Amino acid sequence: MPLDVARHPLVVVVGSGGVGKTTLAAALGTLSAADGHDTLVMTFDPSHRLKDALGVGDAARDAVARVPLAAAGRLDASLLDAKSTFDRLVARYAPDEESRRRILENRYYDRLAGRLSGVLEYMAVERLFEVTRSGGYARVVLDTPPTRQALDFLEAPERITGFIESEGVRIATRDWFDASGRLKAATRLGAVGRGIEAWLDRIVGLDFLREMAEFFQAFGPLYDGFRERAHEVRRLLRDEGTLFVLVAGPGEEATADTLYFARRLLEAGHRLGPVIVNRVHPQSGGRGRAREEQPPGAALLHWLGERDARGVTDLRRLLAGRPLATLPLLAAEPSGCDELAALGRLLRSRLTAL
Amino acid sequence: MSSAPLAAKSLLVVTGKGGVGKSVIAAALARVLADAGRRVLVLESDPRESQHVLLGCEPSGGGVVTAAPGLFVQNVDPYAAIEERVREQVKVAALSRRICRSEAFRTFVAGAPGLSDVAVLGHALRLVAGAARGAPRVDTVILDAPATGHGVSLLEAPALVADVVGGGPFGELARDVAEYVADEERAALVAVTTAEEMPVDELLELCAALRAGVGRPPALVAVNALYPPWPGDDAPPGPHAELWRRRRAVNDRELARVRRARPGVIAELPLLALARGPALVAALAEALRPHAGGGREGRD
Repeated sequence: MPLDVARHPLVVVVGSGGVGKTTLAAALGTLSAADGHDTLVMTFDPSHRLKDALGVGDAARDAVARVPLAAAGRLDASLLDAKSTFDRLVARYAPDEESRRRILENRYYDRLAGRLSGVLEYMAVERLFEVTRSGGYARVVLDTPPTRQALDFLEAPERITGFIESEGVRIATRDWFDASGRLKAATRLGAVGRGIEAWLDRIVGLDFLREMAEFFQAFGPLYDGFRERAHEVRRLLRDEGTLFVLVAGPGEEATADTLYFARRLLEAGHRLGPVIVNRVHPQSGGRGRAREEQPPGAALLHWLGERDARGVTDLRRLLAGRPLATLPLLAAEPSGCDELAALGRLLRSRLTAL
Repeated sequence: MSSAPLAAKSLLVVTGKGGVGKSVIAAALARVLADAGRRVLVLESDPRESQHVLLGCEPSGGGVVTAAPGLFVQNVDPYAAIEERVREQVKVAALSRRICRSEAFRTFVAGAPGLSDVAVLGHALRLVAGAARGAPRVDTVILDAPATGHGVSLLEAPALVADVVGGGPFGELARDVAEYVADEERAALVAVTTAEEMPVDELLELCAALRAGVGRPPALVAVNALYPPWPGDDAPPGPHAELWRRRRAVNDRELARVRRARPGVIAELPLLALARGPALVAALAEALRPHAGGGREGRD
């Protein structure tokens, strides 16, 4: 069995959007619990029925829910909510009431905190830190956020530390504006300064700059903590105990995507475990009636079966010996605990055969 | 309430979850409009561009490339779009280069929430207005929107930025973009989904958010990759037939959910035995054609 809890307390499920990461993360969780390990599945974007199955409906956002599964180990699930993780972070790490209030009342924070690009990824990092620190689980299975570049999540620690340490933030967090909202430098420089101010206003807008400066300054007291935890998570993601499971779509067209992910993970120094090609159409064999005589669904399935088989063959060759398992297209997506457990067992048999 | 048909709008924003065929549908829509005599540009904003593969032309690499007469492709980097705005404001090229290359400015752009979305939409508006540098005059821009977790955020970004930022060029830009996107005579949203549970969940969220935000659902919902209808008693026996029957049953169940959401027009598009490329785009364009001309808006 390539997934060994003693060796892999953290399993990260990655892959392009729409390949079934969330469902497979949940299935891996049931597998881990069935082996007697207390397991947490952290998800981002489950379907409504999967949410129901895992007990992480909207009411339970961000809380940890016990999954009703008859297994030797406990299976918990949590659904990340970026805004409430952010709020909790501010509440916990702001040094005093004044800093806390200043952040929470910032207009940017209030309106945009849950939606900023990068915030979801960074909050996932913070959440992962919280969970692994709490030490309540033998294994954590982490689904990755549904972003355009699905590997953004892995770079979130680097990005946040790079951002905090950048010249730009140092500049932005200086006191640029005086109490009346005028640029200090401009006031000091008289007529020339007013020229600069007008010019800045024309390029980006002083209001915008004021809001941004305020936003970055408000977080000033929290930057050290952000940086420390980001370093910690960066280390964790490269730890020997962290295994990446790459989920791929079927068919030749998905091959380039899958190789791209595999290369990026390896280049970044992560441990890449099995590649799982999901939702593979079955091959219907070469015999039988000529294609034009078949009903449209049968002909289409035949074509899809051949396409997916070619895709798997190509990928296997290009991955050069790295373990690859396939999972068939199911008649319907698993949505209940029993179906998830069944998918988990199927996955186990495929992985054991590697 | 009537409005211009889809084919007569100048901005079509195509959104959808990853893996549903959003880019293919954007390309097919472009084909339909180009065939009808419109000059069309497909705009994408993705470090890994894909429209050139679908429309059979060279990669854009940031510039505008011609895929066919009256059909263009551009992959725009949001940062480049923002830089162009700064260049126009500053006028002195060397100075604007210094500003844009400074780390302070880069940090500002990376950190300013929603700014990239606004910049890409702003670039689309420019193209429509014929005001983008080095670009041909076009009638319609089709934005192959980034597959974010939720397409809603792209459309909410302009209004949020406008609200938070207030004045200045970026505030004004955000306001212009928000206004344009909200104008149903000029802009329309096309939502792409497959008839499967999660993409439909997301589509329904998008429809609800749009009704609340701009007061109307997507003008067109393209339901992609449908298995052929199950022939019932005439069906061949065997395990593959069972897979076909049950996948189509999932499709039917999810199609019913899409219909209940009452979007404008629903285009049901087949899963085809064609590889991702110009032939697939051409076949989907045929299937889309009847839906793209007479824009019947949803009635609330």
